[in-house]
Formats: sequence, structure tokens, C-alpha cells
Amino acid sequence: MIAIPVEHCLLLSVMLFCLGLLGVLVRRNIIFVLMSMEIMLNAIGLAFVSGGARWGQADGQVMFLLVITLAAAEVAIGLALVLQLYQRYRTLDIETISKMKG
Amino acid sequence: MTAEQLQALLPIIMMASTSVIVMLVVAFIPRHSVISSVTVLGFILTFASLSWTGEVGQGLQVTPLIVVDRFALFYSALLLLASLVITLLSFNYFTKGSGSENQVEPGEFYILLTTATLGAMVLVSSNHFASLFVGMELLGISLYVLVAYLSHYRQGRQGSLEAGLKYLVLSGVASAILLFGIALLYAEFGVLGFGQLGALWSNIGALNGIYAMAGLGLLLAGICFKLSLIPFHMWTPDVYEGAPVMATAYIATISKGAVFVLFLRFFMVSGAFMQEMANNLLILIAIASMLGGNLLALMQSNVSRILAYSSIAHMGYLLVVLLVANTGNVPVSTISESVGFYLVAYIITTLGAFGVMAVRSNMLDTRDTDQVADYKGLFWHSPWLASVLTGMLLSLAGMPLTAGFIAKFYIITMGVEGLKWLLVSTLIIGSAIGLYYYIRIIIVMFMRHDEEPITGKRDRAVSTIDGLVLAALAGVLIWLGVYPGPMIGVIQAAFPG
Amino acid sequence: MLEFLWLVPLLPLLGFLLLVLLPLTKRAAAIVGVGSVGAAALLTLLIVVELFGLSSDAQVFRQIYWTWMQAENFTAQFAFYLDPLAAVMMAIITGVGFLIHLYSVGYMDEDPGFARFFAYMNLFIAAMLVLVLGDNLVVLYLGWEGVGLCSYLLIGFWYDSHANGYAARKAFVVTRVGDALMALGMFLLFLHLDTLDIQQLMANANDQWQTGSSLPTIAAALLLGGALGKSAQIPLQTWLPDAMAGPTPISALIHAATMVTAGVYLIARTHELFLLAPDIMFLVALIGATTLFISGFTALVQTDIKRILAFSTISQLGYMFLALGVGAWSAAIFHLMTHAFFKALLFLAAGAVILCVHHEQDIFKMGGLRKRLPVSFWSFMIGGLALVAVPLTSGYYSKHEILFAAAGNENSGQLLWLLGVLGAVMTGLYTFRLIFTVFFGEENTRVHESTVGLVVKLPLVVLCLLSIVGGWFVLPLDHVFPASEEQAISGITSLVTDVAPFVGIFIAYLVFHQNKALADAVVAHTPGRLLQRFWFSGWGFDWLYQKILVNPFMLFVRINKNDIVDSFYRLAAWLMRLIHRLFGLTQTGRMQWYVGSIALGVVLIVGAGIFS
Repeated sequence: MIAIPVEHCLLLSVMLFCLGLLGVLVRRNIIFVLMSMEIMLNAIGLAFVSGGARWGQADGQVMFLLVITLAAAEVAIGLALVLQLYQRYRTLDIETISKMKG
Repeated sequence: MTAEQLQALLPIIMMASTSVIVMLVVAFIPRHSVISSVTVLGFILTFASLSWTGEVGQGLQVTPLIVVDRFALFYSALLLLASLVITLLSFNYFTKGSGSENQVEPGEFYILLTTATLGAMVLVSSNHFASLFVGMELLGISLYVLVAYLSHYRQGRQGSLEAGLKYLVLSGVASAILLFGIALLYAEFGVLGFGQLGALWSNIGALNGIYAMAGLGLLLAGICFKLSLIPFHMWTPDVYEGAPVMATAYIATISKGAVFVLFLRFFMVSGAFMQEMANNLLILIAIASMLGGNLLALMQSNVSRILAYSSIAHMGYLLVVLLVANTGNVPVSTISESVGFYLVAYIITTLGAFGVMAVRSNMLDTRDTDQVADYKGLFWHSPWLASVLTGMLLSLAGMPLTAGFIAKFYIITMGVEGLKWLLVSTLIIGSAIGLYYYIRIIIVMFMRHDEEPITGKRDRAVSTIDGLVLAALAGVLIWLGVYPGPMIGVIQAAFPG
Repeated sequence: MLEFLWLVPLLPLLGFLLLVLLPLTKRAAAIVGVGSVGAAALLTLLIVVELFGLSSDAQVFRQIYWTWMQAENFTAQFAFYLDPLAAVMMAIITGVGFLIHLYSVGYMDEDPGFARFFAYMNLFIAAMLVLVLGDNLVVLYLGWEGVGLCSYLLIGFWYDSHANGYAARKAFVVTRVGDALMALGMFLLFLHLDTLDIQQLMANANDQWQTGSSLPTIAAALLLGGALGKSAQIPLQTWLPDAMAGPTPISALIHAATMVTAGVYLIARTHELFLLAPDIMFLVALIGATTLFISGFTALVQTDIKRILAFSTISQLGYMFLALGVGAWSAAIFHLMTHAFFKALLFLAAGAVILCVHHEQDIFKMGGLRKRLPVSFWSFMIGGLALVAVPLTSGYYSKHEILFAAAGNENSGQLLWLLGVLGAVMTGLYTFRLIFTVFFGEENTRVHESTVGLVVKLPLVVLCLLSIVGGWFVLPLDHVFPASEEQAISGITSLVTDVAPFVGIFIAYLVFHQNKALADAVVAHTPGRLLQRFWFSGWGFDWLYQKILVNPFMLFVRINKNDIVDSFYRLAAWLMRLIHRLFGLTQTGRMQWYVGSIALGVVLIVGAGIFS
């Protein structure tokens, strides 16, 4: 098996993470924002797993499991709130929730 | 796992059981008074169990994840008491006025309070990234729901939904940033425990390398978000304003307190912020937070937002203490002592301020009683409430004879001993600005108002429980301000080293 | 009973708290207000009896309650110290205080601020007791400021009149000058002697300081400053006449019997320090003699009954200072006690008169009240005789002790004595001018029927009794103060001293009773009128202070009103508001903007980390 250098994995995860962050920054549809957050979490998972591979430990995988759990919980609550948003405003545009300011 | 370890873990187990029991109670006996009583009982029993943990001595490592020492026990006690206060004050807030047809019982609120407190307890006992992560997310996810709790309500508070979504996305991003930092550090060093990391770093000396630096920076950014330090502060006022007032009180006290305690432990154990880069950045962040927080609060017309902005400044003040530690002029035990006292004072004060707001609000209203104008002439029809709030605001401003004064006095002393003149002078300027908006609220309360309150809000009678809780908070506030000796003794005893 | 000492100040304090916190009815307020002081007086009686029952060198009792503050080598215990001096003061305060409280129930009957009045009065008694019982200067200072506060509150008791508020502020500000000096004195003492415990302080001072060296002189001078302010001696005497704006019982209790004697008490308490500073001792005597002389003349030309008594108080305090200055410590305290009796009596009698003549205070609008107000008349007569120091009254014994001590003083004793004797003549003159004008002559006021009840009469009778017999005892203060050697007083000195008051009374009889035109004739001439006006204004002290202190200050204030310093602060405030508004703009409410801020922060932190 050809070992993939850990730097490459990390670089990929950094890129994924930045993509996710960018998605949160620019997307106006709340569903896409939540999806972008998933991408960020998956980037984290990749980094953990590659770290675990580098050090030959199971800790990385364990952390990844925890990250998956977090992602599931976050999305569950997120979607519930999205439903509320849609029922009230009939839109998924994130601009609708900018009433509080100053 | 040995019997001692299991015994040391007792409070956390008790808290987790409380969550489960409350959940069952909500399912089978959905009566508000029962749920509330069971929750209160759970907090009290958990609090009591803190004294049954056995002799933990210098700290007992339970699995690699959790350490039970007097430090953890002290802050667990503090957080539990704060949760208890919030639970007690929540009862009336969620008790519906007569003639309401809405049949929803606020059971979930109490479940989430217990799970959030469980997370906070894990956080203060954590000395490993995994438990940090679990604790922080347990706390965070419970809070998303607490913040958005009133959004399902029919007439609805628009603020609650908006605050919930904002908090979810922003906190989610921040958690991701923090986790990514941890992942990078793990990939670079291969350890997840604070102690192991500290041992590695003390061998290396100054860190270098892109991933190490980026990891540390991301970790720092994530923590700064939770503490709402500038420039990661923007969520604070919106969430404070939109969330139900008791959830706000929870975020302001327990969430921030637990994260700061974790921050302190991480700092003490790993020595991370001895790193020059982190040090300089933190100085900038502290200065920006102290000035920015106070300036943002200056002309606010919403008390929740004022308290939100002022919390930014207060976290900035606390950061000063950590920065003094870097100079090495002050022993770490003294640092721990002043942070401890500040947190105690800040938690009591903030609970008191939000408590007064809570007894004047109700979930049925379209918003909480949080406009400055709502407080006009409060002194003339509820002198006791106004007096309590006045005491709390004076304490936040750091006036003598209140706990806030002693706390701020500690920080300034630290700053002077650490020769951090820039930070100390910023702190003083910030406090001076702060006086303006605290005293503005007090002045408004003492104004005579001849006409009906502008908002048409009637004041409810303060229930016995609420009155007792507020009186106790005010009493402790004055007691700590006049005779802080015993509390300082307790905090000193909690120092882990 | 000694171990119940703590209860004595606590009782009036509790009374104060009850009166402030509970919405009591008038009757309940009276019971709480008078009852607490009465109980304190009773307890004091028991304590004093027990203390004086002890052998004379064991008459010291100290009670430490808690450590009040502690910093490095500075420790202040909250502790009380009871010795014969404190016991005498305590007895005067609670005894006279109780009588005046009782009297106030009648006097203040129709006042809407009834409960507030008693609350302040009780607080005052508590503070005054803390002052005299304080074991160290910090506790003493607590009481000192406490009585100052109560004095301020009570002078301005009828605060809806602008003049009363002004008088209260004036009293507060003028005494503040003295208090500041006293605080400086305390700092100095602590700096050099490392303690503020009074007994320890005196012992250390005796050990470490030479008589007449500069440090004790400065320290004594600073403490003297505090005493001058509180006891209304030149040059800080100007507040006391204006303090008469308060209700008459206040004038009796605070501004005659107790608070104004705090300065005398302070000097007596720290007499060992003053003994180390002979220059200051002489200064004390000189100030006392000058004050008694000057205010005697001022009292002579006043027309307001209470102002006459106020200047008389200043004058009598002058006697006490004279006694302190010549080392006649017990005589000073003796006079303090007898003065408390007869001056309280005079004020209370004056209050009764004022009540009956519809709050008229000008003596020339009264007249012939002897028959209509017999109780007030006889009270006034007895009080007046004691004030004038007619033989067999209490004032005679105390004043003569002072004058003899002055005469025997080697340091310009004759001059001090002469001023004192002239003052005694003046005392007779102005006192009987008052009595003749108010109580004799033809009636020219409609007096409303004497409604004064028993609660008003009883204190008057008791005080009458005390004013007579109060001088027949010797105060057991021998062990507190160093014994003063017996002075041989020449017969002529003694004779002149005895005769002086009668001269004054006789002149008063001639001018103000027998031949009233005489007084008008004197005033009709230009020099007479000028002199009268000069004396009336209190020798121009108010005018002088107005010119050299108040006016320049006001001028400075006017110039300063819109000055650069102020605009600097306004600029700062404006700038803060501007920045607030700018910062506020960043809080757009848009979530993605917030995420952007987080991302920016992350980029900055990570960038700084990587490129550092």
C-alpha cells in the first residue's frame, strides 16, 4: 500500500474546511449554509483520521466518531429550526433573520 | 475503573441520571410544578454529591479524559448553584398567566438545563481534548435549543427563532474552527491530553511550523468565540436579546464560566499561552474587548444588549489576569484565585440582573421586559426589585461594597504587579465608560413616572421563591463585597497545584 | 453590667433602623425613638455605677468586637474603651439625650416628619456614643463623621426652605475643613507611631517624642484643627449660629449639649499628646479666650433668641478650650457637663417659648411672658443663672475652676484670666438682656395658651434640677488626667471673679429693664451703630470669609464654567458617542457578516501565528 503523506491529507482537509467556511459566508439559502457546515465538520474528520494514521493511534478515529455525532445533532436541531423559519416566513433566505441589530 | 474513580465521578453520574429522570418525568407526569421540583432536587442532590467524592487530594485522573480535583469540584459547585438559581427563577417565567389556552408545558426546557449543566461539569473537569469536545458540544447543543425554545410558540417571539438560528450557525462554525485546531494539533503532535501536550511543548520551547501555529490559532479563536471576545463577539447581543431571558442568563453565566475555567486549566496545564504569538494576540484581543464592549454598550436602549456588550468587556478584564500570568511576576495560585473570585462575583451579579428581568417577564409576552424604558420609575412601585438591580449594576460597574469591586480590585492589583500598564489603563478607561451605561439604567429606575409605563406592561407580583432567590443573590453580593475573606479562602483551597 | 457596653450604642442604632425601615405610626415612632434612648440611658446608669464602684485604678474597661480592617502592619479593631472620661461623656449623652428625646415628642408633635426626626436623633445618639467610646482613632473618627452627618441632616431637617439647606451645607463644609485636618493628623500619628489605638498612641508618643519637638506640635495642631471645626471655635465658628435653622431640640442636643463638645473631648482624650506640645496648648488657651470674648459681644446685639443662645454656646465652649489650654482638664470636662445641663435647659425653654408665640424668634417682639409662661420663665431663670455662674448654681463651680486655673497659669495667665472675666461680665449682660426683654416689660405678643404638656415640662424640671445641683459633685477624673497643682489664688482675683457676673447682670438691669432708652441712645450715635452692626455680624467673620474664600471661589467657578478643561471632557464624551455609533454600525444583524468577522479574526490570528 502506498502511504499518502500526511501533509497531503492535511492540505486537503484545510482546503475542504476553507470551502465549507466560504460556503457559510456566501450562501443565502439556509439549507446550503447547514450543508457547508457539514463540509467543515468532514474536513475536521479527515484531519483527525489522517493524524491518527500518522501516529498509528485509534484516537483519531474515535474523535471522528464524536465529530459525526456532533454533525448529526447539529443538523437535527438546524433542520427543526429551518422548518420553523419556513413555516413562519415561507422562505429559506437567511436575510429574513436579520431583524436584531445595533 | 477503580471504586475511588467511580466515586470521584459521582457528581457527573448524578447529573446525567438527573437528565434521564427529568426526561422520564416529562414523558409521564407532564406537570410543570413536578418537572421543576424534580430538576431542582436533581441539582441539589448533585450539589450534595460533590462532598461525597471522597478524598481526591491533588486530583484523581478518571480515564484519560476527566480529572477530578478540588478545582473541578469548586467550579462544579459554582455552576450547579447557578443552574439551581436559573431553574428556580424559570418556574414563574414559564408559568402561564390565567386565561391562556396554550397547553404546552415547558418540560424540555428543564431537560436541556440539566444536559447543559452536565456538559459544563464535564468541561471544568476536562484535561483532554476529547472530553473538552464532548463537554463543549453537550453544552452548546443544549443551548441552541434553549435559545430557540420560544420560537415554536404560536404568536411567537420572532427574536427567539432568529437568535436560535444565528447561534446555531455561528456557534457551529466556531466549534468547527476549534475542532479543526484540535485536529491540526493532533496531527502535528499526536497527543490529545493537555498534560502530554504541555510536556511536549516544554521540550520544544517556541513552537513553529504552519500546522502547529494554525492549530493553536484556531483553538484560540474557537475559545474566544465562546467567551465572546472581539472580533468573535458579534453573536452576543443578538442572542442575548432574542433568547428567553433564562437561557440568556445561562449563556452569560454557566456557559461562559465553564469555558473560561477550561481555558484557565488548559493554560495552566499546557502552558500554551506562554507562546509569544498567543500572548501578543491575546493582549490585542483583551484591549479590543475592553474598549469595544464598553463602547458598544454606551447608548444601547435594550438592557439585554447592554449586558451582552458589557459581558464582552468583562471577559476582556478576565483575560488581563491570564496575560499577567505570562510575566511570571505573579504566582499561578494567585492568578487562579483572582479568576475564581471574578467568576464568582460575575456569575452572582449577572444572575441577579437577569433574575430581576426574569421576574418581570413571561414567556407569553412577545418579548422580555428588557427595554431600558421598561425600567422607568421601577423604584417607585417595586423598590426591592429596583434595589437588587441597582446593587447588581453597581457591582458590574465595580463599585465598592459590592463583590464586583473586590473582583476588579484583584484584577487591577494583578495588572499592576505584572507591570501590564497598557492593559491596566485600558481596563480603567473601559470601566469609566462602563459607569455611564450602568448608572443610566439606575437613573431611569429612580425617575418618577406619572403616566402609565410606555409599553403598557403591568408588573406581576414577585413570587416568594423569586423574592428569596433574588434576596439571597443580593445578600451574597454585599457579603462578598464587605467581607470577602471566607470566599477567598475557599477559592484558594480549590487551587489544584 | 460592664460587658453589656456594646448594647449602649446598639440600642439607639436599632431604634434608628426600626424607624427607617418600618412604616411606624406616630405613637410607635415615639415609643421606639424615646424608648431606645431611654433604655440606653438606663443601661449607662448601671454601667457607670458599676465602673465607679471599682477601685479607682481599675476603672478601665475595654471590649474588642472584631477586626475591622487590616493591612500590613495597620490593624483597626472595632473596640470600645470605657474609662471615667468616656463614662461621664456617655452619661451626658444618653441622659441629656433621653430628656431631649422626651421633650421632642411634645415639640415635634405636629410635624409631618415625626418619624424621620426620631430616626436621625437616634442615629445621632448612636454615632456620638461610638465617638466617645472608640478605642482607637478610626472608630472615633467613624463616630465623628457620623455625628457630622446627623448634624447636617438635622439642620436641614425642614429642607423645603432654601435657607435651611444652605445652613446645613455651610455647617457640613466648614466642619469638613476641620475634619480634613484631623484626618491628616491621624495619618501623621500612624506614620510615626505605628498605631491608632489611643492608649498605645499616647504611650508611644511619650516614649518617642520630646516635649516641644516639631512632630508632636504638628500632630497636636492638626487634631486641634478638627476640634476647632467641631466645637465651633475661631476661626471655624461661623457655622454654629446658622445651624439654629434646625428644630430647637436639635439645637439643644447637638449644637449645645453634645456634638459641639466633641472637640473638647478629643483634646481631653489625647491630652498627653497636647502636653508634649506646649505651644499648641497655649494656642488652645488663646483661641478659647478670644472666642469666648468675641462671641460674648456678638451675643449681646443679636435679636434672635436662638442665635443669642448659639453665640453663648460658642462662648462657653471657649471657656472649655481655655481650660484645656491651661491644663485644667477636669475643669474643662466639668464645665462641659454643667454646660450640657443648663444650655440644654435654656434651649428647651426657648423652644417652649417659641412654640407659644407662633414660631416668633425675635426677642423684641416678645415681652412680659413671665406670667403667661411660668414654667419657661423659671427654667430660663435657673438656666440663665447657671450660665452666668451665680454662686450655688452648677455653672459657678465649673466656670470658677476654669478661671482660677487660668489665673494661676504661668503663661500669660493674667491676660487669659482677664479675658475670661470680661467674658463673664458679658455673659451676665447678654443673658439678662434676653431674660429682661422676653419675660419682663409690657406684653406685646398674643401668646396662644400654653399647650405644652407633661412631656415638655418634665425634661425642663429635671434639667432645672441638674443645672443647680450638677456642680455640687466632683467628677472622679483624677486617674484619667495628670493632677494639676493647687494654685494659690489671691483674694482680689477671687473677688473679681465672683463679682463679674453680677456686674453684667446689673448693667443689663440698668440698660434693658430700668431705662430702655439708654440702649437706643447708644445705638443712635454713629460709632455705636457701627459697633453694633459689627458685633451683630459676628465680628465680620462671615463677611471676611465671603470676601476672601467664597467670592474668589465663585469667581473662579464663573470663569471656569465653560473652560477648556470642560470642553475637553465634552469632546471626549462626543467622541465616545461617535465611536459608539460607528461600532454600532458593525452590528448589522446579518449572520453572514458575523461569520465574516469570525473568519477575519481567524485569518488574522492564524496569519500572525504563521508569519511571526
